[in-house]
Amino acid sequence: MLSRVLAVLLITTAGVALAQEPVQIGVITSITGRFAEFGEQHQAGVQIALEDVNAAGGINGAPVEVIWEDDTSEVNAAIAAAERLVNRGVPLVMGAYSSSITNPIAQYFTRQERPFLVFTSSDDAITRPGSDWIFRINQPSFAYAEVLFNVFDQLNAEHGDGYLETIVTIHGNGAFETAVADAVDEIAADRGYTVLDRQDYDQSGADFRPILNRFSGLDADVVFMVSYAADSVALARQIQEVGLDAKVFAGGAAGFALPNFIEGSGPAADYVYTATMWTQEVPYPGAEELNTRLTEVLGRTPSYHAAQAYAGIITAVDVLSRAESFEPADVQAALESTDMPDTVYGHIAFEDYQGYQNQARLPAVAQQVQDGEFVTVYVSGQVVNPMLETPVWDDR
Amino acid sequence: MTYLRLGLVAIAGLAWFIFLPDYRTLGINLMLLAGWATAWDLLGGWSGQTSLGHAAFVGLGAYTIAVTSTRWDLAPWWGALLAMALAAALALLWGKLTFRLRGSYFVLASIAVAEILRLVAINERQLTGGAIGLFIFDLKEPFGLDLFDRGVEFWVALGYLGLVLVVAAFVTRGRLGYQMRAVREDEPSAEAAGINPEAVKLWAFAISGGLTALGGCLYGIVLSALQPQPLFEIHLSVRIALVAIIGGRGTLFGPLVGAALITVAAELFRNVFAEANLLIYGALIVVVVLFAPSGMLGELQRWMVRRRYARSAQG
Amino acid sequence: MEGLAPLLQNITGGLLIGGIYALIGVGLSLIFGVMRVINFAHGEFVAIGMYLAIALFADLGLDPYVSLLIALPAGLVAGWLIQRVVLARLIDAPGDSTLLVTLGLSLVIANALFLLFGAEPKSIYLPYATATVDVAGIRLPVAQLIAGAITVGVITLLWLVLNRTEIGRAVRATAQNRLGAELVGVNTRQVHALVFGLGMALAMAAGVILAPLLFAIPTVGSSYTLKAFVVTVLGGLGSVPGAIGGGLLLGVVEFLGASYLSSGYRDAYGLFAFLLVLLFRPQGLFGRETKRV
Repeated sequence: MLSRVLAVLLITTAGVALAQEPVQIGVITSITGRFAEFGEQHQAGVQIALEDVNAAGGINGAPVEVIWEDDTSEVNAAIAAAERLVNRGVPLVMGAYSSSITNPIAQYFTRQERPFLVFTSSDDAITRPGSDWIFRINQPSFAYAEVLFNVFDQLNAEHGDGYLETIVTIHGNGAFETAVADAVDEIAADRGYTVLDRQDYDQSGADFRPILNRFSGLDADVVFMVSYAADSVALARQIQEVGLDAKVFAGGAAGFALPNFIEGSGPAADYVYTATMWTQEVPYPGAEELNTRLTEVLGRTPSYHAAQAYAGIITAVDVLSRAESFEPADVQAALESTDMPDTVYGHIAFEDYQGYQNQARLPAVAQQVQDGEFVTVYVSGQVVNPMLETPVWDDR
Repeated sequence: MTYLRLGLVAIAGLAWFIFLPDYRTLGINLMLLAGWATAWDLLGGWSGQTSLGHAAFVGLGAYTIAVTSTRWDLAPWWGALLAMALAAALALLWGKLTFRLRGSYFVLASIAVAEILRLVAINERQLTGGAIGLFIFDLKEPFGLDLFDRGVEFWVALGYLGLVLVVAAFVTRGRLGYQMRAVREDEPSAEAAGINPEAVKLWAFAISGGLTALGGCLYGIVLSALQPQPLFEIHLSVRIALVAIIGGRGTLFGPLVGAALITVAAELFRNVFAEANLLIYGALIVVVVLFAPSGMLGELQRWMVRRRYARSAQG
Repeated sequence: MEGLAPLLQNITGGLLIGGIYALIGVGLSLIFGVMRVINFAHGEFVAIGMYLAIALFADLGLDPYVSLLIALPAGLVAGWLIQRVVLARLIDAPGDSTLLVTLGLSLVIANALFLLFGAEPKSIYLPYATATVDVAGIRLPVAQLIAGAITVGVITLLWLVLNRTEIGRAVRATAQNRLGAELVGVNTRQVHALVFGLGMALAMAAGVILAPLLFAIPTVGSSYTLKAFVVTVLGGLGSVPGAIGGGLLLGVVEFLGASYLSSGYRDAYGLFAFLLVLLFRPQGLFGRETKRV
């Protein structure tokens, strides 16, 4: 109780009495541990976003600063960090990378009745059913499968119905990969595709040949793959080795959209379709410029997670600028009325739809690897570049 | 002496609650780890059977609470009782199968059993929700206590730790405790003295597993979003065992000392050394085994005994 | 999947990956056979090999199969040092102290790799490595064929060392009876250090071979440690030929299981076999007598 009172006092003094005191935003992410790669992307996005918002006057004249909390890629550290940020009276907290970490923190914020902004975890369950206190900018896992099915529909329209009918799915047994594979089943049933086989693998096993051998007897039109970075490369290479042919190879997860997928797989990556959440070619203002700046900060090509972190900070700053006070209820109200039509991540507004609550409704992007490069082929219902037919392995 | 120390633990808990309100989750984590390690020590320290599979009991406890409260609408205390019963049954079966293996073989078997249970939790979606897991949305409130409140959880965790310590004290001082030590030191001689080593080890394992699962129940409520990976993974088993060993195997308060040391150190290193926190964790274990094989508390006790002898010899 | 060709494809695939499992398992089994130590850091030694090959490839452009010539002696020296500095203190220590120390070492190594190389997955892309050769309708990946050949070579080398040299005689003597070996003048302390070095060299060699096949992340080691345990227990802990058989068997079982049954429980097949063998044939599938169990 005492801590609550202190926290409220802190908020009021910070927000009202001393306008020049910096406003703090809490960011929980994995700076160390097995997800550190993504924490690095987040740090780059946040750094650039802070430069931008502080150059533009911060929050009503007060500078913005970020309190980093490293969850060391572990859930215990994350919920302890969440508690600390709440008790410190930080008006808005964002996080985290892995859904298995974000889910428990989201439960905590809901119980504490504090607003929580998710910017990169994509497990459907975070906002479906969700709660009044949880807001998510990034696309949920369903979107990863959906955009690729849009591509399949498009290909059927180009080549005539019946071009693509059957699907085989291979996915890792983590929460995210399973959720995407579930979405594949769901959408396939909806749109008249048949899933012939679905196989998962334990994260430690990186030899996919037996599963691929099994698939090669099924002659499916589409091979749908959901896996993280290390596995995506092994999959692409082994598909080539096994000589598994299909009309479409689709990668519905981050692993296939990272630059090291192409570096690691070489020509085996060609013609693979990938779902991604943001690229420099998205039709939003400033996307190319942001990509250039992120590349400078990181020293390599950024992944979409960096852009999501950027979007998270600018959204948080917009919300806190509009909030009547930094009381949780006021911040929540400001989050609900968010409407940012022209951000670099698209139109950010939190809606309730298809069972989701407080979920920004943003389209995913489909790319195809063409001649060793990611080419954006499909954005928001538009084919923006031609999609190439996948030749059989013997002709490559 | 023991009751005095138990009282000190209670006072330390109270002080933590009052003076460190920002660190209640850390305190809960510490007490849960201490409880698990103390329970582990009944088998690993007092009976000499090192298990690297105790995460299976934590996962079992957490999942039992989740399944009973969300699917069957059972109150959490019934869920906790069921979890303990299931854990004891699992321990009996597990022990019956693998107690004939000695030393390293038993360790390897414990890893295999826990890994198989992890794969079951991932693959049996009907029961466990599979990889996506289970959520605990609401719980019946015993005596009007909101079990989702961190303050309440803190007291429950302190109560859990106290219970485990009292049970451990009771068991290790009683007949079973002497039999456990006899089996640990020399199994054939113990058998010659009329002790049934298998029965003794099975009792120790059942109590150890049941108490670990009880902590798992609370852990499930604290997380309220359960997934197989963090709950069943070998890292949790390893952490439970190492904490007890660093603190001192076969001592009542050693595992608690180890848990406090490791939890606080990990929290400090997280901020100070950031990236190297697990590196230091590993290094600490190497140092303890090399230079303080009885663990922190064990070495302290040995040193005190030696000093007492030295003094009486002089006097 | 009809006919004989797919089955043969699966069996050859299993044998090829099993060869690498064997290489990892042989080192673990050798260490156990001589030192009675379960080495929990064995998978991390494999990871060190992977990262060594990756670093040499990235910085010097060295082909991973050439860097094998560096990895083998480096592993020998590093293992020798670890044994002399750390494990030698524990030879007469009670129970599972050495097991715990190697567990600590595994944490230290995984995190040191993380500090040095970052969490990003790393691999080596060799254009010739994804090529395949067609033999009677069976596709054989070139990289795996090379890996298989190297495995055979390294294991033959080990066999020669153990069976055709004076050092090998000392090693075998220590394994059979440490005290007896000491009485006839074998310096068992040196033997222990040498064996640990050999085990580490074999694990690192496996890592180097795996680098162009798979991806490396700093925590990759723990899954190889588990695989190595399964392999050695299947073949009988402490038995070098057993580990080879166990490795090949695990490879084939995993392949057939995942291909014809469900893949979700793939790792469980190995673990079940592991438990059954532990309980009912602790001397391993190929062992004849029960010793020291």
